[in-house]
Amino acid sequence: MAQNHHHGANPYVIWVWLVVLLAAGFIAFAFHLSTMAAVLILFSLAIVKAGLVVRHYMHMYDQPVALYAIAGIPVLLMIFMVVSLLPDIAFHSIPPVPAAEAPPH
Amino acid sequence: MTTEHSMTAPRELGKLPFGRAGIWWFLASEIMTFGGLLGAYTLQRISHGGWHAEMQHLNAYIAALNTLFLVTSSLTIVLAHQATERGDRVRARNMLWVTVALGIVFLCNKGVEYSIEFDHGYFPWTSTFWSFYFTMTGLHALHVAGGVVWNTCLAIAASRAIWPKVSHRVEYAGLYWHFVDVVWIFLFPLLYLS
Repeated sequence: MAQNHHHGANPYVIWVWLVVLLAAGFIAFAFHLSTMAAVLILFSLAIVKAGLVVRHYMHMYDQPVALYAIAGIPVLLMIFMVVSLLPDIAFHSIPPVPAAEAPPH
Repeated sequence: MTTEHSMTAPRELGKLPFGRAGIWWFLASEIMTFGGLLGAYTLQRISHGGWHAEMQHLNAYIAALNTLFLVTSSLTIVLAHQATERGDRVRARNMLWVTVALGIVFLCNKGVEYSIEFDHGYFPWTSTFWSFYFTMTGLHALHVAGGVVWNTCLAIAASRAIWPKVSHRVEYAGLYWHFVDVVWIFLFPLLYLS
């Protein structure tokens, strides 16, 4: 929310777009699409909705570069965490460690 | 209608006012919190084959209605901020109260949803899915409750003499509230729809 609102889009128009995208997501849900198709469609819609809020309601389009760094670095770290852990946790690519043998008595 | 130029000049850090820089630092830490949870949920969900059976027990209609309330409250707090910048104290106060009301409706709906789930025997300790579900939505609801308290304080301040000194905080409350909205925008499809 920058000091000057006059360069931003009309907030009512943004709200209408958000509601339309929400409805589109719900319609996609009602069609019982395959998991992959549902994930792709719903997350694309979520990213667009979040983008609209961040850009127009939080006024990220006219902020100093430092602000992009503050907000962007944690997002990049989150993406890095998911991508780096995906093979191990989600797809179990690392074989389980064998149980240690009991010490001799 | 009371009209006054109530924006005080905040101190600045480079080109950023202190307050805005501070709230963005706070939001960055919140991105880490929710990002970690969302990432862990995504990984566990893939690992557990999708959790489709568990998700059938969630009420997507209540959640969709809640999304609508939250998105609308984002609009009203933008209108409150615009009114504050224009010096229109009455409209700013009214829009803040509408934002508070929408936040409370969201929390009430969430309470109804939780009570339905408890009635059906689903608790945080029931399974990994329910543990994630209650943690993420509960943490989000706490943030909504925090925002409601903050916006209520500002709405009350808008009727008091202190308003010219604190009116610039509507911007910071708005940034926080939009962040809470953005988190829900991702939680909704992740938990209820996909």
